[in-house]
Amino acid sequence: MRSIKLLFHLIRLQIRSQLQYPVSFILEVISGVIILGFYFVAFALTFSRFDNIGGWNLGEVAFVWGLAEFSFGTMDMFFSGFDYDAFGPMIRRGQFDQLLLRPANITLQVFGSRFVLRRLGKMIEGLAIFIYSLSLIQVDWTTLKLIYLPLLVISQVFFFGSLFIIGATTTFWTMERLEILNIFSYGGNEVMSYPMHIFPRPIRMLFTYIVPAILLSYYPAVYILGKTDPLGAPAIVSFLAPFVTAVMFWLAIRFWHFGIKNYQSSGS
Amino acid sequence: MTAFFATIRTSFRRQLTYRAANLSGLATNLMFAFFRAAVLIALFNEKNVVNGLSIQGAITFAGITQALIGYLSFFHWFDVMHSINEGQVGADLLKPMNYFTYWLGIDLGRALGSFLIRSLPLFLIFLFFYKITLPDSLLQWLVFLLSVVLSELVSFGWRFLVNLAAFWSPNALGIGRFAFGLSWIFSGFYMPLDLFPDWLANFSRLTPFGASVYLPIEIFINKLKAGDLLQAVLIQLFWVLFFIVIDHLVLSRGVRKLVIQGG
Amino acid sequence: MKPIISVQDLSKDFKIYRNHQGYLGAFRNLFDRKFDLVHAVDGVSFDVQPGELVGYIGPNGAGKSTTIKMLTGLLVPTSGTLGVNGYLPWKQRKEYVRKIGAVFGQRTTLWWDLPLTDSFDLIKHIYDIPENIFQANFNHFREILELDPFLGTPVRSLSLGQRMRADLCAAFLHNPSLVFLDEPTIGLDVVAKQRIRDFIQFINQEMGTTILLTTHDISDVQKLCERVLIIDHGKILFDGKLATLLADFGGRRILSVEFAENYPEINLKDAEVVRRDGNQVVFSFERKTISASKLINRLSADYRIADLEVQNQPIEDTIRQIYEDQLLYNHPYDKKDPAS
Repeated sequence: MRSIKLLFHLIRLQIRSQLQYPVSFILEVISGVIILGFYFVAFALTFSRFDNIGGWNLGEVAFVWGLAEFSFGTMDMFFSGFDYDAFGPMIRRGQFDQLLLRPANITLQVFGSRFVLRRLGKMIEGLAIFIYSLSLIQVDWTTLKLIYLPLLVISQVFFFGSLFIIGATTTFWTMERLEILNIFSYGGNEVMSYPMHIFPRPIRMLFTYIVPAILLSYYPAVYILGKTDPLGAPAIVSFLAPFVTAVMFWLAIRFWHFGIKNYQSSGS
Repeated sequence: MTAFFATIRTSFRRQLTYRAANLSGLATNLMFAFFRAAVLIALFNEKNVVNGLSIQGAITFAGITQALIGYLSFFHWFDVMHSINEGQVGADLLKPMNYFTYWLGIDLGRALGSFLIRSLPLFLIFLFFYKITLPDSLLQWLVFLLSVVLSELVSFGWRFLVNLAAFWSPNALGIGRFAFGLSWIFSGFYMPLDLFPDWLANFSRLTPFGASVYLPIEIFINKLKAGDLLQAVLIQLFWVLFFIVIDHLVLSRGVRKLVIQGG
Repeated sequence: MKPIISVQDLSKDFKIYRNHQGYLGAFRNLFDRKFDLVHAVDGVSFDVQPGELVGYIGPNGAGKSTTIKMLTGLLVPTSGTLGVNGYLPWKQRKEYVRKIGAVFGQRTTLWWDLPLTDSFDLIKHIYDIPENIFQANFNHFREILELDPFLGTPVRSLSLGQRMRADLCAAFLHNPSLVFLDEPTIGLDVVAKQRIRDFIQFINQEMGTTILLTTHDISDVQKLCERVLIIDHGKILFDGKLATLLADFGGRRILSVEFAENYPEINLKDAEVVRRDGNQVVFSFERKTISASKLINRLSADYRIADLEVQNQPIEDTIRQIYEDQLLYNHPYDKKDPAS
């Protein structure tokens, strides 16, 4: 309990320090929204020369795109301590030892070590695209869908978060950035922004069986948007998102604890 | 002159030692090349040509853009900014070499190294998976290579200029990130400029960003021929000269400010 | 009294993997890992009583930081027993760490981007320090360490000396029973060093905090520690009073002479010429072999002297000699000094 209070305290302090120059901060957020949003804008403008992509219209693409952006941005804000760019130096400079010397939960200390409020840019961008999508399409909203949607967002956040945690854990052994893991986190973000059935089989397989991005983006969307799935999977697949995420997150945390134990026995 | 080439050589060698980083960068870019190609294929959906761009050209575009990312340090390059912020610039300015030329040498070495161990292998692997359009004559190949070299010069000119903001503002990094973002938007690296609405495509072509990314690709896929080839090279040359002049002007103002106000 | 630190036959082995070279080597590394076993700490034993201020020194790579890491719970020992403040550090981490403090000269214990006051406030919360104790300690330390001028500054903007003072303040706020100081004076100027030393001494004497001090600066040890442990190649070579060590090994003295004339050749029995610069000659001699006064008499019998000075060999030189010549390996005692 004390560790959670410490976590909130750390986050509060970082927010305060990042808001020290509010104008500068707002400009950075706006700049982020513009730069990140450009990809979608470029896609939308290009899309005007075509009528659909894999049978999905622009609004439907915006639906998955906005969701993925919002979730990734949210994750990036809270899980920033596990971002390789922050965690790698932490290990290399010996600052991780400092966490071991404090009477608080180590994992929560890592969460609290970095909170990037600037990621609001990506969250706003994602939200904007999602709202745009809703303005373009007609979703038959049932109670189940309305319950599932926020659950899906949370699942996506923890899905990406698991990838970050796994990436951070690998630095206990390698010290070097395993950029290969970017393929799963940032690559996952990318493929989840499109209707995933358009990707060639090898990529689909990668993002089904190795990193189950398809279960977090495409299939839930197929259900909510009422699309037909040319891949012919059973309907239940659309509801696996929360369960798959729970398993992934649990595995990630186990791996993380294993990494810490190993760090303590073999030294840095 | 020899100092310049020595700088290139040292930087080149150093880039070659970053094996792990280059390998991972290659893998990531390759993956994204596959993503982009897949999106374009899905968009084209059996159509052969859209607005003068063939599906094969679009696929080739996907491969080349990703191959160029490392070579052009496309996403971020803040070495000069860091050196200014950390006070290193003082030592660098004392070197018996023009500050701009010094950094150009370093960047050329880096670019050459990156091209050899990241861009080239990436494109060769991409070739293996997709049928692409290749330049159809020796002239086309030669102009393409010239254009690729000019690309790096234009790219450097822009990146260097952006970094100089550090002379004036401690928040230069935020400004820098936004400036880089602008370069992505108008470069035609994400979606081919030919697929943009005409007004956006035309505007982008007026910027130096389209010149450093999209032009070489248009040459490669044989979209530009004869007179257009010459025009393309001239446009790139214009931007190279433009940045050389502007960068030197801004640099001298920046150095003056540094010297007067102190580090 | 029960010792606050009790170490018995403590050992830590590391596997140093030998890397195959080249591209093919990178692949071979995945399957065929050869390693060397390094005994970083090799059967170390010692006790520390509450309230002691002990120096822990040794050359680089001797095993100091590995020992400290095991004592602070950062590293799991390979074998041996270890008890600190009634806990097994690495096993009971959270409870153990609550009662100790640590300062590292090479890096900060505080939060990089936050103003000092925020860091101290965080510490108050993490260690659950009652408000009155926190205020009492904080006000007392800030005065002694003169922290007020930079209390609002983030750690990243502080000079090394300021950062060290801040780290020291932070380490003692929660009234730890035991504090580990790892190179607390490294890189500091003479004045700053003295200020830090005074603070350490104050804490140890006024608050009875046990302190284990690791340092390369022998003057730190000389000024602060009665007892010193020397470790090299993973083994404790000496455990006792610094004075005893110097009596046995620090016997060399320096005689600096300014002769009245520039003698072509100067011979002095039982002394070595260390340096010669015209009339100025520096001799070194063994205290046990000959006394200074006898040596001076001998010298003045044969030469005319304008001025002279006698000094003890700097401690740093003595210690360096001990490290380099591995003198303690040949010394009759390598266990606790019976005289202490």
